[in-house]
Amino acid sequence: MNFEHVLAHHLIDEKLFHLTIAHVSLGSTVIPVDLGLSPLILSMWGAALLLTAFLTFAARSRSEAGRVARGMVEPVLLYLRDENIVPIFGGHSEQFTPFFLTVFFFILACNLFGLVPFTEGTTSNIAVTAAMATCTLVMIVAVGIREQGFLGYFKHLVPSGVPWWLYWLLFLIELLVLVAKCFALCIRLFANMLAGHIASLTFIFLIFILSQTSHSLGAGSAPAAVGLALFSYLLDVLIAFLQAYIFMILSAVFVGMSVHPH
Amino acid sequence: MDKLLQPDPGLMIWTIITFLCLLAILKKFAWGPLLGAIDEREYRLKEERLAAEKARSEAERIQKELEEKLAGVHAQSRELLAAAAKDGESLRAKLKAQAEADAQAIKEKTAAELAAEKNRLVAELRGHVADLSVQAAERLIRKSMDAGVQKAVLDGFFKDLETTKAGRN
Repeated sequence: MNFEHVLAHHLIDEKLFHLTIAHVSLGSTVIPVDLGLSPLILSMWGAALLLTAFLTFAARSRSEAGRVARGMVEPVLLYLRDENIVPIFGGHSEQFTPFFLTVFFFILACNLFGLVPFTEGTTSNIAVTAAMATCTLVMIVAVGIREQGFLGYFKHLVPSGVPWWLYWLLFLIELLVLVAKCFALCIRLFANMLAGHIASLTFIFLIFILSQTSHSLGAGSAPAAVGLALFSYLLDVLIAFLQAYIFMILSAVFVGMSVHPH
Repeated sequence: MDKLLQPDPGLMIWTIITFLCLLAILKKFAWGPLLGAIDEREYRLKEERLAAEKARSEAERIQKELEEKLAGVHAQSRELLAAAAKDGESLRAKLKAQAEADAQAIKEKTAAELAAEKNRLVAELRGHVADLSVQAAERLIRKSMDAGVQKAVLDGFFKDLETTKAGRN
């Protein structure tokens, strides 16, 4: 039994069918842009559909269950909006609130949905987190350009009062920082969620590794391994909330910095 | 395992499409109504609090006004009482003075009347005495001489005087 194969089987997304529309070449490697569906995309849609259904139900239903759902969602919304988004954006918060709430709830839904057996861990795929980080990057630049003008935004990337010969160096560094911030967002979410899955799998796999030495050793280690896997699984639930929040609040801080440059 | 770190562009595109669709749908069907309801509730609470505060300040204002009015009424009533007491006092003094004046006038009038009556009586008496004196003198002259006669004459005169007096009364 090869651990690497098991991990790859669980974590790498295989397309159900291929629909290649273009090819992107990065140096020597050529990556196909394949719009074919995969279990991961279906999982993501499942999470999004469940989220939409739940939130719409909470917002619209007048029944007792709707009231309970609203009671669950409203404190979270109030906390995110009044304690996080409003302090960052102040008077502009109205127009940014839907974006950041959607970021939080989408990532949270994907994180939690990935913990359900027989679904794919959507956010433990680097393409998904990269796409979300790209949305944040576009938001940062678009909002910055809208608030300060195209030239103004790029001018304000570098602090004022810098000598001209240092300006271009700092400009390049700041551009790099901008991309690095989003790259960090992408890697943080991806690594955290992937680590959770790998930890659970590793604990379960411990049983099979040990049973290759001796069957009784494998059987004896099973309760401890399952217990540890369950613990890691519970930890994942906590991390699902934590990482969704971190992704949202960091995105909000970055976008907020381009609304108020100083 | 290299594939784990290689982002799939197709998946990225699908993720972005899904996210944007979700953003549009949730904005319309979830965030709008949910945040609207929260805002409306907060607005209502704020309005109610403001209204309550306004009502309280209004009540305080009215209370203060009433207290001021009451103090004014108290002062006015005290003034009125003082004025009434003063009026009463002056009226009493006036009435007393008038009564005293009236009494004095009555006393003077009575005294004057008494004096006039007395004078009249004295004059009348004087007249009678003169008449009687004349009558006594006549009798004295008529019956003349001796002491016995004289005495008899005087006794008779006084007897007459008594009878005259008794008769007038």
